[in-house]
Amino acid sequence: MSQISIQIKNLSKRLGPNQALAGITASFEPALLYGLIGPDGAGKTTLMRILMGLLFPDSGECAYLDNHQTVAFERVRSSIAYMPQQQSLYPDLSVAEHLEFFRDLYLISGKVFQKRRAELLHLTRMEPFQDRPAGKLSGGMYKKLGLMCALLQSPDVVLLDEPTNGVDPISRREFWDLLYRLIRQKILVIMSTAYMDEAERCSRVLVLDEGKIIAAGEPLSVLKQEKAGNFEELFLQRQKAGRR
Amino acid sequence: MSAGFRFSRAWSIARKEVRHVRRDPFTLATALGLPILLVVFFGYAIDFNVKDIHMIAADRDNTRASREWLKNFTSSRFFKLEPADPGQDPQSALDTEQAKGVIIIEPGFGNDLGAGRPAEVQILLDGADNSTTGIISGYLIGIQQAAWKKISSGPRVQPLSLQTRFLFNQEQNSRWFVVSGLVVVVIGVLSILLTALTVAREWETGSMELLLSTPVRPLEIIFGKLAPYLGLVLVSVVMVYLVARIQFGLPFMGNHLLFLAGILLFLCLCLAQGLLISVITRQQQLAMQLSFISGLLPTLLLSGFIFPIESMPPFFQYLTYILAPRWFMVISRGLFLKGVGLLELAQPLFMLLLLNLIMMGLALKRFKKDLEP
Amino acid sequence: MRKQAWAVEVKELTIRFGDFTAVDNISFAVKPGEIFGFLGANGAGKTTTIRTLCGLLVPTSGSARVAGLDFKSGVQALKSKVGYMSQRFTLYNDLTISENMAFAASLRKLKPGVLQSRTRELFKFVEFDYPVKTLVKNLPGGIKQQLSLAASLLHNPEIVFLDEPTAGVSPVIRNKFWALIRKLARAGKTMFVTTHYLQEAEECNRIALMREGRIIALDTPQRLKTQAFPEPLIEINPEVGGSRQWVEKLKLDPRIGCIQPYGRRYHVLIQNQAGWKKVARTMPKSLKTRPIQPSLEDVFIRLVEGGRT
Repeated sequence: MSQISIQIKNLSKRLGPNQALAGITASFEPALLYGLIGPDGAGKTTLMRILMGLLFPDSGECAYLDNHQTVAFERVRSSIAYMPQQQSLYPDLSVAEHLEFFRDLYLISGKVFQKRRAELLHLTRMEPFQDRPAGKLSGGMYKKLGLMCALLQSPDVVLLDEPTNGVDPISRREFWDLLYRLIRQKILVIMSTAYMDEAERCSRVLVLDEGKIIAAGEPLSVLKQEKAGNFEELFLQRQKAGRR
Repeated sequence: MSAGFRFSRAWSIARKEVRHVRRDPFTLATALGLPILLVVFFGYAIDFNVKDIHMIAADRDNTRASREWLKNFTSSRFFKLEPADPGQDPQSALDTEQAKGVIIIEPGFGNDLGAGRPAEVQILLDGADNSTTGIISGYLIGIQQAAWKKISSGPRVQPLSLQTRFLFNQEQNSRWFVVSGLVVVVIGVLSILLTALTVAREWETGSMELLLSTPVRPLEIIFGKLAPYLGLVLVSVVMVYLVARIQFGLPFMGNHLLFLAGILLFLCLCLAQGLLISVITRQQQLAMQLSFISGLLPTLLLSGFIFPIESMPPFFQYLTYILAPRWFMVISRGLFLKGVGLLELAQPLFMLLLLNLIMMGLALKRFKKDLEP
Repeated sequence: MRKQAWAVEVKELTIRFGDFTAVDNISFAVKPGEIFGFLGANGAGKTTTIRTLCGLLVPTSGSARVAGLDFKSGVQALKSKVGYMSQRFTLYNDLTISENMAFAASLRKLKPGVLQSRTRELFKFVEFDYPVKTLVKNLPGGIKQQLSLAASLLHNPEIVFLDEPTAGVSPVIRNKFWALIRKLARAGKTMFVTTHYLQEAEECNRIALMREGRIIALDTPQRLKTQAFPEPLIEINPEVGGSRQWVEKLKLDPRIGCIQPYGRRYHVLIQNQAGWKKVARTMPKSLKTRPIQPSLEDVFIRLVEGGRT
């Protein structure tokens, strides 16, 4: 199994009047869960889309390494799974139909699919809802279906853009359990969130604000360094410091 | 770019699209209802023939010859002849729009005729109604000729009715003329509209972002998206064809295989055009408007469907060369009504093929594989 | 009259869509000037209830009085007394701030003079200081929310319904937003708020917790906590990484009721005090433990999940 890591250097991206990213450098290693933490407009989605090859940086580099060997993006593209922030499933297709659709897109064989499908439905506790159209799922279930579609192909890298936004606390917990399982399978997971309490659960955090990284590293050491009790405080302190 | 083309992925897109269509009553209703609507509209409601045109006849001669001459009008069902009110200027009937035309036969008509001198009849037409006037004057020339022959040939009355019929019984011909062009309109409007919406919808609902993150190739998306609509529009075409043949009794003089080839070429072209619109606009509403402008208008106005291309100003005549409906119109009418062969259709078929390559190329080129604005 | 004393009074309200019961026979009452939190999982019926109280949906059965009006006298009068800020952004992105406000005012039939003074007053109140000629699409997310709130306050409603007003905004704006909600409540307005951020729900005077269309708890945050957690709760704070194995071990321990992750900490429900003491002695020093008050999230999980089969 390949282990993919990503290294980005000085990424900048301008979208319309906004400087979405202003020089971001970071590296993402397998078997870790990276949290992109920041409010709306911090540049989280832009970074995700650049990592997925859906946007191209104005300047800077984005390198993909497979077992420490630099590889072209097209080579790793099919082993990266992505779950966009905005609703992107088909409201008129059922849970089962979504899974079949993605099976075909990823050219997964029938046998592997059956196994994977059963596994995912069990993990997400979605077995009873297989025939329900995506448009009639609750917020939490919708996100779970999105995650299932992303995980169907057993990816090496999983990019999740605000997977828990608008999801109730219980569904969020279930979601986190699923994420922990992924990193135990040596997968690189990068997720973004606007919930500050979720930052503490990541293996590493990148705290973003206005297109810049304002802090990065293990959640604990980041908090210690910034002398904040939690990430909510970190933002509030910055605000106060800015005002002074 | 198509190096990694996998048929199974295109197929999965197609199957998904079929599911969308099956669950979306609007698309189905449009695809199957619009052709019927067009057939009824153009086949029945719009009638290019003129019938029961009110004419006022002021027969100031009132001889056998003049009455005989006028009888030609009454026996034709295109005109409804009424004698003029003697106390009134017959021309006033035109002003008050009581009649579309006035026939005035001055005294001496019969005498002149009998003496072999040129006899004159005055016919006044309401020039404000341009289209009717044109048709009336067309009829009049024919009727006059027929009447002339009849009267001048004296007792040896010829069975002229046969000849006049051929010339004037345009009723069926005009309907045939319209209906044989309907296949063009149905494909032209429907296929552009349906495909213009489909890709735009993926952009608008955000599903394109997810789709682009999978290994699926643009060509696969295009194939998968177009195939179901190709099938759907073909069904509509068959419906229109059957209605044309059965309901309107249209002949089909040409080769069906040739017709199918023309249909497929034109259909692919229209689908590609819809796709191009969809790919560029990425918004359903805008796509809908653009597809009406670029689909409906050229097909109805510039294809020769109703307005003959030969009578357009030169600029528009040249413009029609790059419009696919014009070429397919030639094919459709040629095969339905004239029974032309491959040789005569070589040019339109070639033009369709050429336009196809251009449109497909453009659509593929503009198909975005990323989210860059 | 006692009846007039309630800002919102709901009795045996039921709302069905087809054969789906979204709201199932709920009754509650909200005092004027109260910050009333409405919590529940996705699909529990919160938004449906709010829409009904704003006169946007017709109840299947039961009654509701809002601002002293019932729906029988028509919803038009009601609409002038309530403000509604929807979950979804409802302003027009391609209009400027002032155009949006003018449109909102025209819907409420406010006179232009009133609009001017009211907008100025409101913007000052919500500390909104963007140039009014800015197109709404160019505003940052949190600012848009503020503008939405201002638009829903334009006609000076007695009761304001806020449906997830703070989704996705930064902690800074969130704090500002809640300061505003408190300020409005002090000014006598009834604030009816739904949220998924349970930290901010602590700010509410009272909270109704919904599950599957029913209200399963309704009280002040403090009393909800003591009612839901008669047993003590311990927080484990791993100071370094690698605590997972320990937590997995604890999960299997019969002396411990329940262990839930909370940020990078864990909350442990103690069912057997003596047993816990024994367990705690065997734990490494890096796992700091301390007894804590349950948070609303603990309450939420316990009450909502507890009822799940």
